[in-house]
Amino acid sequence: MALNTLERFLLTLTLYNLLATAAISIYGIVVRPSLTKKIISLTILGDALNVLAIFIGFRVFSIPPVLIPGVELELFVGLAVDPLPQALVLTAIVIGLAVTLFLVFLALQIYRLYGTLDTRRIRELRG
Amino acid sequence: MRRVIVAVSIAASVALLAYTTTVAGALGYLGLETRTLARMFLALTYNPDLRELTAMSPEAVTAIVWDFRGVDTLYETVVFYMAIIAALAIYRGVSRVSGGGGVGLSLIVRVVTKLLIPMNIAIAVSIAVHGHLTPGGGFQAGATLAVISVLLAVVYSVNSFSRVGVDISKAVALRSAGLIAIAIVVFTPLIYSALTGAQAYLMQSYVKVDSGFYFPVDVFGQLISGTLIWLNTAEFLAVSFGFFIVFMLLSLREEIVKQSLLGEGRGS
Repeated sequence: MALNTLERFLLTLTLYNLLATAAISIYGIVVRPSLTKKIISLTILGDALNVLAIFIGFRVFSIPPVLIPGVELELFVGLAVDPLPQALVLTAIVIGLAVTLFLVFLALQIYRLYGTLDTRRIRELRG
Repeated sequence: MRRVIVAVSIAASVALLAYTTTVAGALGYLGLETRTLARMFLALTYNPDLRELTAMSPEAVTAIVWDFRGVDTLYETVVFYMAIIAALAIYRGVSRVSGGGGVGLSLIVRVVTKLLIPMNIAIAVSIAVHGHLTPGGGFQAGATLAVISVLLAVVYSVNSFSRVGVDISKAVALRSAGLIAIAIVVFTPLIYSALTGAQAYLMQSYVKVDSGFYFPVDVFGQLISGTLIWLNTAEFLAVSFGFFIVFMLLSLREEIVKQSLLGEGRGS
């Protein structure tokens, strides 16, 4: 039940990749002037953090957290992955989707009314 | 060129950081242990010997979503509800989806889609009602069914919504039916408590130490896991028709929306 160095390196690399993706998407949200690109960055941030949560609950030698008839309860408890991050991510995905949809509607409305999605130009609008 | 340098340096620093962490063993045994909390959830997800504690569902994720952490999911349903209310508020006064010509894509695509839609409905219903037994549940099933609205809009054109008899007010009614069903399941223990005077808790599914109220665990030998199947089915209705509303609003014709927006501006 031990991992060799390459396997441990790949697991660690996945973790840092997710963190780097989250950092880059925060850069996109803050720096990019286009509202569309801000929304895209926000969804990438949400997805990166969701995968990070799943990764925290992940185990290397494991089975899904679904009890199949014939599997002993003790074996199941010893082998299955952590179901709590999966449940939290499930709700986080739906909330993220709801927020994204709302932002998309707002951006669409801004475009219809002002003809631009550039925050630098939206800021200068009056009335 | 500058972008390439930035990308390569980010990738290199991530790889270097991962390598140093691995060599130093700073993260310990990554992915080799289960937390005590996870062990507790796994041990209690389907355990007929501990009737006061178990969720009686072999699927641990659904057990957590609707039983162990059910109030979280209830709040989350409210968030989803509010987001769609906000979308409907932005589009108030714009309800006409049809109008204008539009025949959709070619015959081949339309026939294939016609074959796919019944399968899609069957899969969505199956995911919803087996949510307490296999991976799946109300949210996943709702998202699966909502694909149909996108297919209709893209393949058969926006006019097809009125042709198949779905409009925004019907979708709102069906979504509200789902939400009301969730509320009924959630408040049934309290109504029971008010009627009989016995102790019962909000969202209670089974017998607790100081409360005898319970939903049936099985029907004719089929496991339905108390409240889980009802909540999953109701959430399926709420989520799928919530998405129907959103996609119908997004596929509204630009002229109709503009007309409504400008008309409102002139009125104020």
